[in-house]
Amino acid sequence: MAEITIDGRNLEVADGLTSLVAAEKAGISIPHFCYHPALAPEGTCRMCVVDIEGAAKPEPSCSTVIRDGMKIETRSPRVVEARRNVLEFLLADHPIDCPICDKAGECRLQDYYRDYGFFSSDFHEQKKRRSKILKIGERLILDRERCILCTRCVRFLRDVTKTGEMGVFERGDNSEIGVADGVPVATAYSGNLVDLCPVGAITDAAFRFRTRTWFLDPKPSICPFCARGCRVDVDVHPGFARYPETGGILRVRPRPDATPAGPWICDVGRYAWIEIESRRARRIVWNKGAAEAVLSGDKVFSILGAKIRALSESGRTDRLTLVLHSGLTNEEWADVKAFRDGFNPRPKIRLADPPDDGGDDFLRTAERMPNRRGAAEAGCDLQPLDPGELREDTDILFVFAGIWGDIGDLERRLEVWRTIRTKALVSPVLTASDPLFDFVFPCAIPYEKSGSYIGFDGRRREFTAVRPAPEEAESEGEILRSLLAACGLGARTPGGS
Amino acid sequence: MKNAAIILWALIKGSLITARHFFTNLWFHFLRLIGIKKYRPGAVTIQYPEQTKPLPSRYRAAHRLTKRPDGKPRCVACLLCATVCPSECIIVEATEDPDPEVQKHASRFEIDLARCCFCGFCVEACPEDAIRMDTGRIDLAARSRADLVWDIDQLSRGRS
Ligand code: SF4
Ligand code: SF4
Ligand code: SF4
Ligand code: FES
Repeated sequence: MAEITIDGRNLEVADGLTSLVAAEKAGISIPHFCYHPALAPEGTCRMCVVDIEGAAKPEPSCSTVIRDGMKIETRSPRVVEARRNVLEFLLADHPIDCPICDKAGECRLQDYYRDYGFFSSDFHEQKKRRSKILKIGERLILDRERCILCTRCVRFLRDVTKTGEMGVFERGDNSEIGVADGVPVATAYSGNLVDLCPVGAITDAAFRFRTRTWFLDPKPSICPFCARGCRVDVDVHPGFARYPETGGILRVRPRPDATPAGPWICDVGRYAWIEIESRRARRIVWNKGAAEAVLSGDKVFSILGAKIRALSESGRTDRLTLVLHSGLTNEEWADVKAFRDGFNPRPKIRLADPPDDGGDDFLRTAERMPNRRGAAEAGCDLQPLDPGELREDTDILFVFAGIWGDIGDLERRLEVWRTIRTKALVSPVLTASDPLFDFVFPCAIPYEKSGSYIGFDGRRREFTAVRPAPEEAESEGEILRSLLAACGLGARTPGGS
Repeated sequence: MKNAAIILWALIKGSLITARHFFTNLWFHFLRLIGIKKYRPGAVTIQYPEQTKPLPSRYRAAHRLTKRPDGKPRCVACLLCATVCPSECIIVEATEDPDPEVQKHASRFEIDLARCCFCGFCVEACPEDAIRMDTGRIDLAARSRADLVWDIDQLSRGRS
């Protein structure tokens, strides 16, 4: 423990902290560009300078480790002057194209200029021109004019992903960020560079010009694309009052406590929603031979309910089969259990997930589904689905295809299931197999559900819906409850799941 | 009965006020005609719409999207006007511009003049001087609400 004084407040802090971290722990924030809590300090931007008693000039707090008895001033006139000068130099060559910059609204240059700037610059030279729309990765766009050379991006690729695609090239005034030999950033964690860049130098091609950041409403959720269960913020645009079509999910970002390894998420978790949104299923469909009818949910449930009741009256409900996936929340597994226990004999329940993809050695787990442990603990004695199974012993089949609309080899399995009399698909996205089912239900994506998963580490992660599901779509749990109610075998409880 | 008397009295009182203005105006016009009291004119009306009065130079009339020297709209779709607009009547959508010096322009820009309260905040907020309210156009009657939603072409022409 060390006793220090920051801005006249006496604090007792653990040894080995830097003064910036110590100040932050005491609730005093110090402006900074190059320091990032999950990266090693670099000390290049000099925005974080503070006055330390006994030091001749202001020192960078991000790389000054505290000593017992240290006296620190974070807002002395000398410090404020130094910060203003840092800003003036950074802005001397800065294009200030905030109107077309996707970072505007969450840009540190903007924020600090408001706090420390408001100067009229002494620079009258022509600003240096550099390349502005440089593609440095599949979804990364670099604007070298906006770059302030904090090297956060370089350090992330060097120390965290260890792929080292980027570096600082040339010297002095000509220094520029770039990718070595023009080889693009190919790591599976590339999207984090966008969050990491304190200014708008690295921007996201997927978010480019979609909206301005201040319209977005970040909603906390849990990433449903693997068992790691990273904490994410889903940025939802509420839509302009009179133009609701402008709303929707626009970005997924890691929360500051996304993972114990730092505020990072993989590119699958960051971008997968784009494809899912573009394929989204929105209507309940009844395929009658060649024709296709669009019916209300109640009508379809009563048709299916009558079919199940007919099975139940002849005591053959074991010929009803549910094929489920382990992306269901723990609460939905409770619905599955209630559904199963509603019949005697019990319907068959099988588990079919898309095949594991191996994962990687950083965050991504091999399991693509978020809740395999929750499924195992649900007490539904789940058995994996056998490829050749269900041909003979099933009359009514429900396939719940996870977020990708796929349970692995769905088309080949349908070949086997050709003779099953009634087949229904529950999927959040349109799939090529839709016409082969008699009924197709759209369902909610995980971001539209509230509930919990049990991740790879056995820890429970709770989340709430970031927005309502499309009008005709319900969560899988709600669909099971509606079905049970339509069989006359359970009360339909509105809401929740 | 008492109510009828009150209504009748109000009618007479109103007519008397109108008549008083009529005769006062007539009197002043007459004095002016014969050369007395030149500085005190009677009430003057104009034959609108055949005749119009010049608008004050800073009058906030219907909007106009200004153009660059090469004729393209100046708007870079920063959405500040849509952000500041208290009537929520502006919608802007952005797209990529082929010119790397411009990068971003509006693919959709609509103002619902039926909702606009002509506060001029959008003009103040615009960092590019891309929107002005200097068309002088105040005759905004239309046959349907949809006709009062001006799109990017109508706004660029200034007058539709
Ligand atoms: S990086 Fe920041 S200051 Fe620079 S143009 Fe973008 S928003 Fe403006
Ligand atoms: S691109 Fe962004 S993160 Fe990288 S050095 Fe420049 S300002 Fe820093
Ligand atoms: S004048 Fe005011 S109300 Fe009308 S479009 Fe502009 S900001 Fe909106
Ligand atoms: S944050 Fe300390 S020098 Fe950049």
